[in-house]
Amino acid sequence: MPAKPVTIGEHHFARKGDAQDFFREMLYRYDLADKVSQEDETVLRLLLDRHPEASEKIGAGVDSFSIRSADFGTRCFWINRVDGSTEKFSFKACL
Amino acid sequence: MKSEELFDWLIDEALSSEIEAVTQITVALEIDNITEVDREEDGERTFDWNRLLLAASILAKSQTRKHQEAALRIATAAISLSAEIEVRDAGAVLLEKLSNHRAAKLAEDRELVKANRNERLGVSMRLEALRREMEDSVLVETDGSWLTVNDFQQKLWSGAKTEDTWVSASAPTASGKTFLILQWLNNYVRTSESRVAVYLAPTRALVTEIESELKTLLKDTENVSVHSIPLVEKYTEARAQDKKVIFVFTQERLHLLINMLKENCLIDLLVVDEAHKIGDNQRGVILQDAVERISRINPALKAVFVSPATQNPEELLTDAPDGIAQSSIDSDTPTVLQNVILAEQVRGKPKEWTLNLVREESDLPLGVLHLDNKAGTVKKKLAFIAAAAGERGGTLVYCNGAAEAEDVALLISQLLDEQDDKDQELLDLADLARKAVHRDYQLAPLVERGVAFHYGNMPALIRMEIERLFKSGKIKFLACTSTLIEGVNLSCRTIVVRGPRKGRGHPMEPHDFWNLAGRAGRWGDEFQGNIICIEPTHPTAWPMGVPGRSRYPIKRETDAVLGQNEDLASYLEARLSDDNSNISNSDEFEQVGAYLINTYLRLGSLSAAPLAKRHSAETIELLESKLTQIADEIDLPIELAIRHPGVNIIGLQRLLEAFRAYKNDPSNLLPVPSESVDAYDRFVTIMERVNVNVVPVFLPPGLIPLHSLIVVEWLKGYSLATIIRNRIDYQKRNGRSYRLPNLIRETLEIVEQTARFKAPKYLSSYVDVLNHHLVEVERSDLIDEEFDIGVALEFGVSSKTLLSLMELGLSRMTAVELYEKIAQDDLDRNGCVRWIQRYAPEFEGMNVPNLITKEVLEKVPLADTTRN
Repeated sequence: MPAKPVTIGEHHFARKGDAQDFFREMLYRYDLADKVSQEDETVLRLLLDRHPEASEKIGAGVDSFSIRSADFGTRCFWINRVDGSTEKFSFKACL
Repeated sequence: MKSEELFDWLIDEALSSEIEAVTQITVALEIDNITEVDREEDGERTFDWNRLLLAASILAKSQTRKHQEAALRIATAAISLSAEIEVRDAGAVLLEKLSNHRAAKLAEDRELVKANRNERLGVSMRLEALRREMEDSVLVETDGSWLTVNDFQQKLWSGAKTEDTWVSASAPTASGKTFLILQWLNNYVRTSESRVAVYLAPTRALVTEIESELKTLLKDTENVSVHSIPLVEKYTEARAQDKKVIFVFTQERLHLLINMLKENCLIDLLVVDEAHKIGDNQRGVILQDAVERISRINPALKAVFVSPATQNPEELLTDAPDGIAQSSIDSDTPTVLQNVILAEQVRGKPKEWTLNLVREESDLPLGVLHLDNKAGTVKKKLAFIAAAAGERGGTLVYCNGAAEAEDVALLISQLLDEQDDKDQELLDLADLARKAVHRDYQLAPLVERGVAFHYGNMPALIRMEIERLFKSGKIKFLACTSTLIEGVNLSCRTIVVRGPRKGRGHPMEPHDFWNLAGRAGRWGDEFQGNIICIEPTHPTAWPMGVPGRSRYPIKRETDAVLGQNEDLASYLEARLSDDNSNISNSDEFEQVGAYLINTYLRLGSLSAAPLAKRHSAETIELLESKLTQIADEIDLPIELAIRHPGVNIIGLQRLLEAFRAYKNDPSNLLPVPSESVDAYDRFVTIMERVNVNVVPVFLPPGLIPLHSLIVVEWLKGYSLATIIRNRIDYQKRNGRSYRLPNLIRETLEIVEQTARFKAPKYLSSYVDVLNHHLVEVERSDLIDEEFDIGVALEFGVSSKTLLSLMELGLSRMTAVELYEKIAQDDLDRNGCVRWIQRYAPEFEGMNVPNLITKEVLEKVPLADTTRN
């Protein structure tokens, strides 16, 4: 089966694996508890729209994204919602 | 014959066999379950008391410890062994001759002698007694009363009274130093011009104890207040109005106050208790720095240093500003008899142990101690010998570490008879241990049987109640750790010890051993104290044997480290590297290194500093060459480093560089409020930044998440019980096994060592450097002036209500327990007092432990509506 390209906003990836590498690199570029930059936020908003449960994840609306810890010493993107609540999401689920 | 020769002749020849016999009998009186050695005749009938007492009254004139000890031994023997009232009276007179009025009073209290002794004495004896009483008294000016003192206390009182003087006093542990210095402080503050006084004690537990004693002493005084929290308003009131304040602090808290007040922090009087701890690894230099900082601001500062049994109290005076009059007071006078007893198992009979008393010339056999059970392991030896020899109570067992203390206490508890009606105070303490730590905390069932353990990381309220009940006799056995020699005021009748170590590993130095041994013998409560050393010839337990009597040499930590000049220079060299993983020996050198760099930056050279007088020109030159290189790399203001004693400015400079290199929004660098969802992750990152840039302190790195979690919970104002419960839940949720006693001890340790010590120290410097950076990048809008993370962590509080409760003098444990019931989070002190007065009658219904209620009512009497 030929590799399936992925396009997220201005970013074009020849393969799904390239897109995963891109977001993994982004995840580990920050320190824990950092909020992501404007530029990365724009991409993450588009990525989140691809999530199978996007509307549940977005809830009251996205204010910003943070990098925080998840289970077993891993890290994860977190949505900071406008109502003050937070929710984590997996970038792999969006690809 | 010269008098010294006469004294020696009396004890070495004329009376040697009689002194030996009275010693054997009086020491054996102290030991339970002993079969005494056979003596040729019955001691009591053969003693010629007249002869012994006459000789003792001659020996009492000597200044040599050995002679005074012999006189004290004879006086004690006369009081406790003789059936004749005249002999016992004479024993009491002899005690007074030795200025040992407390022991004479004890003899009266025990009805060994009759109170109206003076009436039975002849005119000349009566006159002499009267004269002695006057000589041995000092005038308390505040109320015109006379305080009976011993020779040492007399000297300390008059020495400390002189104006503009630095005074350093040293005397054996049971000499009533703290008692006297508190009386003196009360008197001095009220009768002098002094407005702001600081009393430094080395541990928070001691701070709490001293604060409460001072409050009791000053309870009828309107215009002097006592506080253990650095409160700027109290300082300002004292300076501006007709009020006075005494702050009781650890050295860290004094730095916090100076940081808030800066150059305005004018202290008139400083008392440093346990001043020999200026030699402590890591915290000694913080103490030295605190003393130097306030004496730089006020060179006319009056300073009084007090230390136990030190060789060289005058050493503490060498840094006094020029032109300040100084005096040092050194006493070696024994106040109680201290018997060092060696216990060795009778060959082939593990239940029988021979006891010998250590003496200068030769050991003196006392008898055989009988145990109920075979003592196979080290813990069993400690437990069984303590339970047998110290059956009557007041018995302290020295253990190497908290885990051992818990095990030994459990063993002892099984040997005691079950009491049918339990004591209410013991039940209250057990209740508090269950509610405030964990329902299965081993301390609770032990305390109900009159046994306890005791270690440094325990919550202060519980530890102090253990100490109080041990002093009152309700707790008969106490298994403790080296915390005891780190600044806890606790004495006992008997200490049982085998192979003592200090902290983790190292055999005790002789002066530490004697600091411990000095706790045996409660002056005014007992005539004698006993130190039982188990298996004294065992090569691993006692690699250097049982140490001979020794006094503590005061040596500043800075001077000790400067003595290792080559190693220190290499350390400073390594500190220049960008990579913190190269740093080894930071425990040894980091604090002093930081102090030296600050001194260098402040003065422009090391040779201008007072410490240069105490070291060779080569050492100073060598270090200066390294310091010059470091100074070249620093562009942080030196004032910033001075605010954070013990934190190396080179590390802070690296941190600043890391901030400068940080690419994302600088708001990501700030600590967030503990309630925030990302607080835990943010503290993980901050701790990692501190490790990488400042110095590796949060170790091992793999445990940073756990440390961060506990720090956040601590800041949220969680109770210990909640923090422990959360950890247990976490372990269970993730299917991990755990051992409850270890989990409890580990949590207590992280709270004390990380949340209350390392985190406030390093995180407050982190924030300071960050604020400097934010000004540089024109983002000072991000600086939060209101929130001081150092203060918040030191006290473990997140709300105004919690801090107000602690300002009332309540322990954190009590404050947290109440805060869980209080709805408002912004109450001031008056608001808290009103809440307590409204709700205290309902505390029982709210399931508040009795001891917590007791502490609340002690600090906030229900009738008191005027407190502020």
